[in-house]
Amino acid sequence: MVLRHILRTKIQTMDPGNLRDLYSNMVVSQIYETLYTYHFLKRPYEVIPVLAEEPPRISADGLTYTIRIKKGVRFQNDQCFPGGKGRELKASDFVYAIKRIANAKYASQNWAPLNGRIVGLDEFREYTKGFKKEWDVDYNKSVEGLRALDDYTLQIELISPWPQIVEIILSDTCTAPVPQEAVDFYRQDIIRHPVGTGPFKLKKWQQSCFIELVRNADWRGELYPSEGEPSDRENGFLDDAGKPVPFADRIIWRIIEEDQPAWLMLMRGYADALAIPKDNFDRAVSAERKATQEMTDRGIELKTFNDPSTFWIGFNLKDPVLGKNLPLRKALCRAVDRQRFIDLFFNGRDEIAHGFVCPGLDSYDPNIAQCGYSRYDLAEARQLLREAERTYGGPIPKLTVAMPGTDTFYRQFGQFLQRQYEQVGITLAVDYMDWPTYMERLNKGQCQMFSSGVSAGCPDAIDFLDMFTTRNFAPGGNKFFYSNPAYDALYEKTRVMPASPQRMELYRKLERMALEDYPAVFLNHRVAYTLNHAWYKNYKPHVFSYGLSKYRRVDVELRQQYPELLKKLEREGK
Amino acid sequence: MTAFIIRRLCYMVPIVFGVLLVTFVLFTVVGGDISQQIAGKNADAQTIAEIRHEYGFDKPLFWSLDSQFTDHFKKAFTFDFGRAMDREQISEKILRGVGPSLMLTGPMFLGELIAAISLALIIAFVRGTVWDVTAVVICVAGMSIPYLSFIIFGQYFFAYKLDWFPIIYLPEEPMIKSVGLPILIGIIAGLGAELRFYRTVMLDEIRNDYVRTAFAKGLSARRVLFKHVLKNAMIPIITSVVLALPTLILGSFLLERFFGIPGLGYLMIEAIGSRDFFIINAMTFIFSLLIVIFTLLTDICYVLVDPRISFK
Repeated sequence: MVLRHILRTKIQTMDPGNLRDLYSNMVVSQIYETLYTYHFLKRPYEVIPVLAEEPPRISADGLTYTIRIKKGVRFQNDQCFPGGKGRELKASDFVYAIKRIANAKYASQNWAPLNGRIVGLDEFREYTKGFKKEWDVDYNKSVEGLRALDDYTLQIELISPWPQIVEIILSDTCTAPVPQEAVDFYRQDIIRHPVGTGPFKLKKWQQSCFIELVRNADWRGELYPSEGEPSDRENGFLDDAGKPVPFADRIIWRIIEEDQPAWLMLMRGYADALAIPKDNFDRAVSAERKATQEMTDRGIELKTFNDPSTFWIGFNLKDPVLGKNLPLRKALCRAVDRQRFIDLFFNGRDEIAHGFVCPGLDSYDPNIAQCGYSRYDLAEARQLLREAERTYGGPIPKLTVAMPGTDTFYRQFGQFLQRQYEQVGITLAVDYMDWPTYMERLNKGQCQMFSSGVSAGCPDAIDFLDMFTTRNFAPGGNKFFYSNPAYDALYEKTRVMPASPQRMELYRKLERMALEDYPAVFLNHRVAYTLNHAWYKNYKPHVFSYGLSKYRRVDVELRQQYPELLKKLEREGK
Repeated sequence: MTAFIIRRLCYMVPIVFGVLLVTFVLFTVVGGDISQQIAGKNADAQTIAEIRHEYGFDKPLFWSLDSQFTDHFKKAFTFDFGRAMDREQISEKILRGVGPSLMLTGPMFLGELIAAISLALIIAFVRGTVWDVTAVVICVAGMSIPYLSFIIFGQYFFAYKLDWFPIIYLPEEPMIKSVGLPILIGIIAGLGAELRFYRTVMLDEIRNDYVRTAFAKGLSARRVLFKHVLKNAMIPIITSVVLALPTLILGSFLLERFFGIPGLGYLMIEAIGSRDFFIINAMTFIFSLLIVIFTLLTDICYVLVDPRISFK
């Protein structure tokens, strides 16, 4: 059985330690496994052990995590091992994976969340700076807070409590164990030679066009989940409960960046599923947001789900015009018709962002819209502008928004914003620039206003709240240079709290505190629309876990009948 | 001839130097430091500094023996272009892409050339007739339609509707199966311009006295056209053909991208999209080198086919 997927962009690397993009994750997570992951079916999302034997044992002060590792887990066979036979996974492999991210010479994109978290790890990073190359570093040098107590026990000691460590780090592909033998053997080419413990292994990777994984015959095995949401049985997601996975023998990804061939591949039945390209949206989705008759006739199903993310036009609060002028920032927020923006640029499929914590996260506040932070009200915007002019001491000068791209989307987006602000008498210049220039200027606080956004990596909103802390000023995540001592104090109190209803209330309070200061025009939360053929089973959307191909199954008979169905539809003129 | 070649090779030195200088200024000085892009959105200053060091962005631009400019030179002359932004060896990427590109552009070029020259000879022979006018109108229409339209229509109609060809490159099948449709589209899309060009070349030749003489002597039309006219029209044909050869290696940007063919055209498009200046730089250098070499070959070919031209 073969799963036939489409990737809309090429992947950069198969080395989990330096991997951050979604598409690489989609592939690599089938090969590498993590200590923990999210349950495939249960909602709200629930963390379950994968390579760990059980949930971590956490000390009373929340500082020490002791994790038992499953016995008998083996790395896939590879020439990097003596005799080519994969060895057993040990706790020291996790120690190595985390130390490797800390290695300054490795220059991992994943260092930021670990910075200042684990006892002794920052010192280890300092130590690595003295070496010339990544592989010159002696990984035997101990890190006090990161130890393999024995072959099957990992202990992590934190500098301060970090209740989200399991979701942010231990469930993330970045800490998936990579055998040191493989890194030493392949060195920089480890990016193309994954050696994991997962259900699939790489057979062929033709960069920019094709990836083929085959079943890892030595994988320890797992059963399809038997529990889920109440609706899962009705939707057929529990039909395979208790069966051994993976179902597929091979997974193929074709990398197709252009919309037309991707769409034609789906329609011809050569791909099992596809996120709907913008230009094909009306053909696939009706005005009632259901699959069109054409799709239904072909047995193509529509799935929609919140893709937890928020996009905004941010204000640089260090800017002399914007920073000290709350009425101006409010006026800028009132003057943007977000629904029009979503209709124009996203086929009306996204949701208006009334705050910055997005739907799908545990602490999303369903009543946030009532606060009116994203209200579109031109009369109020004009009134606020007059107030802003009094505050400024004269007419508001021309404002400038930085766009992180020069393509058609950003051009049109820039023009849209200009028209929106023209309505209330604000002149806006748009500065289109390439990504590195944009990032450099943003981090130096040189952008007055800027278009940006973020996607959630776990159901906890801590990363979103962290964007407004003073200690996280750019080049950290706070590109707004928002600083509010009351917010900082509450954040520091909240960030070490374990999940609880009280913490959720504080999260919501923090969000509203920041929103009251109008640090940005929050625009939209993405809603994903995907199509899949009826033969593609167990395709339940999941936004925080990627290693799900082991659960997917294809009804081969139904797939084989598809060409006949197409001919029949053609004869009927459909 | 040897002296001529040596002289021309000497001319190549300043040209190649100029190209290297221009690419360096464009991609390194003007293009800026792309360490932040490689390091990722949340990278700290240390990580960015490491990447700057790894790629040599922390070296002086020009005035040092170990500068970014000398590195640029060294890479070009050793053909060791280093690693791309995804940390794969650029030379490996390029070598891997040459085959698929040539599989596509080679037959496309030959097919287009043979069809264009043969049709041009025939059209030149029937000049002024309704056939000539019809051919010119079709050529102009073909030239007016954007290349992309040919691709979109061809892919939709021949691959999706009729199912005669694969929609996209199939690595598990022989390459010829995947390049059939792009070759066909490439020939049709490019034929209009080529045919118009060769028609003009042939018309210039066919009006000469020697053609009338050959017909007066009773030679057949086929012999006159393919033996005498074609031979004398070789100079513009050689110019056009030999200078087009380097572009074959570079592949076809749009066709490769739409049909997912992993050639150099696709590699270049991707590199431009992701601002991978290392790849763009290497490709620009290789292309300019090929142009210079093939220009020299063109000059040598002129002498071989036209006795009026000498190496002096």
